[in-house]
Amino acid sequence: MLNQKRHVDLLTAFPILKRLLRSRSFQPGMMLLTLFVFTLVILTGLFGTPAGSRNFGIIFVWIVWWGLLIIMLVPFMGRFWCSICPIPAPGEWLQRRNIITKRLPKLRTLNKRWPRRFKNMWLQNFGFLAVALFSVIILTRPQVSAWLLLSFIMLGVVLSVFYKNRVFCRYVCPVGGFIGLYSMTSPLEVRVNDPSVCLTHTSKDCVTGNEYGYGCPWMVYPGRLDRNIDCGMCMECLKTCPKNNIALNLRPFGTDLTVQKAHKLDEAYKAFIMLACAMVYSIVLLGPWGELKNAANMQSLPHWLAYATGFLTFVLVLVPGIFGVFSSASWLLMKRSLPLRKVFIDFAYTLVPMGLAAWVAFSLGFVLINGSYALSVLSDPFGWGWNLFGTAEAPWVPAAPQLIAFLQTGVLVAGLLFSVQTGYKIAREQVGRHRKAFTVMLPNSFFLTLVTVVFMWLYLG
Amino acid sequence: MTFREAAARTILVVILLGLPIGILGYRYVLQPFLSPETTFEVQAYAPESGGFSPAVIQVEAGKEVTLRFTSMDVTHGVAIGPGLDAAIDHIDPGEQGEITLTFDKPGTYTYYCTTWCSADHWRMRGIIEVRDPVNPDLLPQVQSDPVIEGLLEEGIDIDADHEGEALAIAPSAARGGDLIESVIVPDEVRQVDWQRTHSPAEALTILQTQNASYSDAELRDVIAYLWMLNTTSTVDTIQTYNQNCAACHGESGNGAGPAAYLTADVPAVFDDPGYMFSMRADVLYAKIRRGGMGTDMPNFGTLFTREETWALVDYLWLLAFEPTLNE
Repeated sequence: MLNQKRHVDLLTAFPILKRLLRSRSFQPGMMLLTLFVFTLVILTGLFGTPAGSRNFGIIFVWIVWWGLLIIMLVPFMGRFWCSICPIPAPGEWLQRRNIITKRLPKLRTLNKRWPRRFKNMWLQNFGFLAVALFSVIILTRPQVSAWLLLSFIMLGVVLSVFYKNRVFCRYVCPVGGFIGLYSMTSPLEVRVNDPSVCLTHTSKDCVTGNEYGYGCPWMVYPGRLDRNIDCGMCMECLKTCPKNNIALNLRPFGTDLTVQKAHKLDEAYKAFIMLACAMVYSIVLLGPWGELKNAANMQSLPHWLAYATGFLTFVLVLVPGIFGVFSSASWLLMKRSLPLRKVFIDFAYTLVPMGLAAWVAFSLGFVLINGSYALSVLSDPFGWGWNLFGTAEAPWVPAAPQLIAFLQTGVLVAGLLFSVQTGYKIAREQVGRHRKAFTVMLPNSFFLTLVTVVFMWLYLG
Repeated sequence: MTFREAAARTILVVILLGLPIGILGYRYVLQPFLSPETTFEVQAYAPESGGFSPAVIQVEAGKEVTLRFTSMDVTHGVAIGPGLDAAIDHIDPGEQGEITLTFDKPGTYTYYCTTWCSADHWRMRGIIEVRDPVNPDLLPQVQSDPVIEGLLEEGIDIDADHEGEALAIAPSAARGGDLIESVIVPDEVRQVDWQRTHSPAEALTILQTQNASYSDAELRDVIAYLWMLNTTSTVDTIQTYNQNCAACHGESGNGAGPAAYLTADVPAVFDDPGYMFSMRADVLYAKIRRGGMGTDMPNFGTLFTREETWALVDYLWLLAFEPTLNE
């Protein structure tokens, strides 16, 4: 393995953090807080002003929450959001018939089996695309946003009635899909201190649950956990592990991306979809082409159909296709020593840091520009002329507009460097020797550079 | 059940039931009960996207109402007429503005956009039906306008094409002012009512018979002066013209406003003295209030009072005979 163990267990370093995360109240407490905001988002969406910039729901979901998620939480804390997300909370509490303490030995569900063919990311991929296609409408119309979020929470509840654990989060949630993928770059991970302890431990409380907590709601076996993608950081295993073997590690960025045994096509496609969507959004929402924006905004059905067709072709065919050409070059350079499909999927993981950087750069643009709306909607969440905290008349002030381009450039360059480094590591795992790996990764690095240049041109043009 | 569990469940109930019931109950039950003032939320979209929403509002006479306008797409302006002097100059996209007023008399009022917002800008209107609380089924009908009735009786076609004659020298009220003492002017020609029902050209025919020593150009100057005598235009009139007419007719009245190219017919040119010299004030008045059939000239009868309309007509004469006053 190339990865030397370079990490710090935060639970050992900060006992107070361990106490907090072991407490059965912490997660539900956070969930109640986010559920409060969520309920307000739904209410303002359904009953408040249709003017997006004056509506708490739009501003707090698509600017405040989104900004926090993509710029702060995902890059630095991985799937932490999933542990405090309000959407699965009602369903989970229904399954447990309790909010805080563990009461029942087993979850109350109809115990249906989740179909095998959906035990992957494809539903999340297409769910995300479906939302992305209507995003311009969703982002600007509070009512549409509210119904969308309501449908998520309803789906979460319904699925929790039929299936055990967090099936919605792992296989369905369109947001969970990309948070999972990008959390592999984050420097925070839940792992076991010593895998050999788990091997010899027969009762596997982390899977079955005990009086201190439930079996892993994410259907993961912590003893073999080696990627962040499926771990929702709910810390249930920390509560149940009788061996005190669970760690919350601080580690180098992007550690999970080179673990090859679990590279899959659905995840590779998630990487394509996310990267391509960041590009489409940047073009449509920030670009100078009003026609495109109108088409995305459903100016007319034919316009939108043309936009949707173009969008899907670009995301699902064009970007993977161009990437495929570069992967084929790598494959030829390694004298076809591995199957082309494997080379293609492996190298797709180099798009993860790049994609995350692109989303951060894109989001910095509108979050800093529009962040100040948060002040006025706090005082007048419905746009009804209230002034709860005296900030209703707060003017719209773009934050650091002259800095945005520099920040975006820095983020994109960092993303490129991380991606190139990931490409090198993957190539080393594929072909072993340094010189050969360097040759094999060249086409991929060229593709990554090309993508970065396109983003730079879009943002700095 | 532990205390923590009970607390968590209580909080959950407060969030899922208390919050919606509290907020919506306050907004839709308690607030209307507590405060006599009614607020109407009106979203302003360009006409192509639906115009004002709602487009009809019903209120009771004598009750204070607030209309909160939210601009949903581009910058709009809002005014309520006729004769209320209630306006918001401009509301930028996503911004809000409100007008609070009390309608004393039952009747129909119009709120309309005052900023050129799209090709169909003038269609952006909404109606306020003010009803008598004692007799809510009775909505006063719009009274017929004696001026327009008079034109119909006279057999004058308001929509007929009007061609003026080209004048070599533009009439000047200033020069006419110097001559007014020496030129013989019949009393009736000095009367507002007469001027409003006759064209300057008709006045010229009368003056020519009594003032043979003066040239036609000099007499035209005198007539321009006479037509300026009774003007009722104010600064407000100029603003009304600029907000509602200038987009097509031009601020100077040159018929070449920024939206002139969109209209079905070429907008009338008010700073063409030849055109205006053979035009009657009451015909201008009727065109403004009733609109022009097939020309894209909107009707403004529901927006302005009759006095405001006459003031506008007076301003058109000013553009024709004394354009420098406008500079």
